[in-house]
Amino acid sequence: MFHLAWRNLLQSRTQFFLGVGGVALALLLMLSLDALLVGSEQDLVAYIYQSGADIFVAQEGVRNLHMAASAISMQDMRRAARTEGVASASPILYTTGVVETEQADVLSYIIGFDPREPLGGPQVIVAGTAQLGRGEAIIDNAVARSQGVELGDEIEILGETFTVVGLTEGLTNIINSVTFIHIDDFRALRRGDSISYALLAVEPGYDPAEVAAAIEARNEDVTALPREVFAREERQIVKDMSVEVIYIMNMAGLLIGLAVTALTLYTSTLRKRQEYGVLKAMGAKNRHLYSVVVVQAFLSLTMGSAVAIGLVWLMGSILPLVVPGTAMALTQAGVVRVLTAALGIGVVAALVPAWQMARLDPAQVFRS
Amino acid sequence: MEKLCALCVSVVKMEEWMEPVMVVEHVTRRFGSGETEVVAVRDVSLAVEPGEIVLIMGPSGSGKTTLLLMLGGLLRPSEGRIRIGEDDLTELDERRLPEVRLRRIGFIFQDFNLFSSLSALDNVALVVQLTGLSRRAARRRARQLLEELGMGHRLNFLPEKLSGGEKQRVAIARALVNEPDIILADEPTANLDSRRGHETMRLLRRIAKEGMRSVIIVSHDERIKDIADRVLWLEDGSFKNEVEMATDPVCGMSVDRERAPAQVVYDGRTLYFCAPGCRDEFLANPKQFL
Ligand SMILES: Nc1ncnc2c1ncn2[C@@H]1O[C@H](COP(=O)(O)OP(=O)(O)O)[C@@H](O)[C@H]1O
Ligand SMILES: [Mg+2]
Repeated sequence: MFHLAWRNLLQSRTQFFLGVGGVALALLLMLSLDALLVGSEQDLVAYIYQSGADIFVAQEGVRNLHMAASAISMQDMRRAARTEGVASASPILYTTGVVETEQADVLSYIIGFDPREPLGGPQVIVAGTAQLGRGEAIIDNAVARSQGVELGDEIEILGETFTVVGLTEGLTNIINSVTFIHIDDFRALRRGDSISYALLAVEPGYDPAEVAAAIEARNEDVTALPREVFAREERQIVKDMSVEVIYIMNMAGLLIGLAVTALTLYTSTLRKRQEYGVLKAMGAKNRHLYSVVVVQAFLSLTMGSAVAIGLVWLMGSILPLVVPGTAMALTQAGVVRVLTAALGIGVVAALVPAWQMARLDPAQVFRS
Repeated sequence: MEKLCALCVSVVKMEEWMEPVMVVEHVTRRFGSGETEVVAVRDVSLAVEPGEIVLIMGPSGSGKTTLLLMLGGLLRPSEGRIRIGEDDLTELDERRLPEVRLRRIGFIFQDFNLFSSLSALDNVALVVQLTGLSRRAARRRARQLLEELGMGHRLNFLPEKLSGGEKQRVAIARALVNEPDIILADEPTANLDSRRGHETMRLLRRIAKEGMRSVIIVSHDERIKDIADRVLWLEDGSFKNEVEMATDPVCGMSVDRERAPAQVVYDGRTLYFCAPGCRDEFLANPKQFL
């Protein structure tokens, strides 16, 4: 039966390879977004690590950067700075905005920092300077390259024009990038004199977690989090937001894969009705015919899964070269998920052809 | 004279010895009910001996295929019984019928019905595998049989690469490979030219006589008649005593003299035709057909 299943499936080669290709693409859909997010996870929190801060102080209840609006006063920052174990405190202003280049708009975290302060600004500069003045901006290398922006070029941030004076590295990910401007320029765009976050360095020998707890104990208007916790929260927010998208992609992948497989098996069985009828007349039992369908489902899906996994792996090596700021990582969980999905697809897709087989009346063969 | 009679007696004794392989008792098959009821087969009885070749003839719609389906365990009679050896097909559970078909009956179809994706060898081997044998063993057995049937040089050919006669030989091998008691053939020569048709029939005869297998053929091909041991005429679902038949000189079909749609007296002989068309063709150039 294995041999018959295999030969029958291969008999119309184009259809078979279209089927396998379709399944592969569907499964690829399930794998890729996930792989992209996992691959980019480290990039998502790159600024938090690069900033050099041991503790992030934010408005009470704010526990990350992404999609957050935080406002604390300079006084709150100074109070935190006076806590035992705090070496320095630097203010930043933060919002999510659009950087307009000549070519396109790029979604970006906009960070206003004070070049005279120890923290908040970019730590890894690959061209130009970190010491920006008023009317100047620092953007990420990956954005500069993809948008064709060079040092000295002008870009628009939050509606104002800035000159690019420095390029950072590693601050672009699939969701956005990070752009720095002078804190006074940022403040001018915004009423009031509050700041968004205070970035604190801790003196050697002090535990950031304990210091952060002490800050919160002294001022209940702020939330102070050690870098690790702040980064974890940031990752979690992005994950939570993309969970639904991943879910939808998975569902779409599952449905497409199911439709393609079911259709391939169905048409293959339909085309062979007469021959399966002959087989039945000659004494094949239904289980013999079911095994043909099962083998065909198994073959299509194993090949489809293999192609999908291979493609993700291939994209993982090629994508970062083509689209800067992206990375793909094939996880064990992803592979398991795809194989489980393939199995589910196989079972459901085989139902209709199996039913077709069971219903076949072998007497029909003689009436053609 | 005495010698000959002694031979007669021994033949009679042998026949008495043999149980029929297949016994059909008062089988009727109806389709539909009420106003639309069709009686496709009506009160048919028949016993077939081992090694016997029975030819069932009859016009289109007379119930030949319906009868064959019932004999093959593919259709249940409305009334009556069909026995193959000790198995009563009419009483067997639906799930046991495939096993009977697999081991006791071989089918040969009008359009060969080979598995188009499989080689000649695998076509035959697959049917052996259904009995539970491994692919290797099945292929060995299939190869041997195909070689016996003169198909050794075509083992790995796909059906599409075989001629009609070769396809029919593969189909016969497939019907034969599980050593059935009975071979059922529906119009086995319909898709063959007359030479191949004759070869096929001679092969079936050899198979019947050498292996003591019964062969039941359903056909309206007049040319088969001479190799059959017995010819039965089915009409409106039941066997008629052999009516006086004539052969249409144009198309070769057999025609019931009483019902022939056209006839012509030519050169002092009465000729019967299956249709006025054949008669006209004959009259246009009689010499060609005599
Ligand atoms: N499944 C069926 N349902 C209804 N009528 C049928 C069916 N099968 C056969 N018949 C009828 O039974 C009669 C005999 O048919 P069939 O056995 O095919 O004849 P033959 O093979 O001699 O041409 C025909 O009148 C046909 O219409
Ligand atoms: Mg018929």
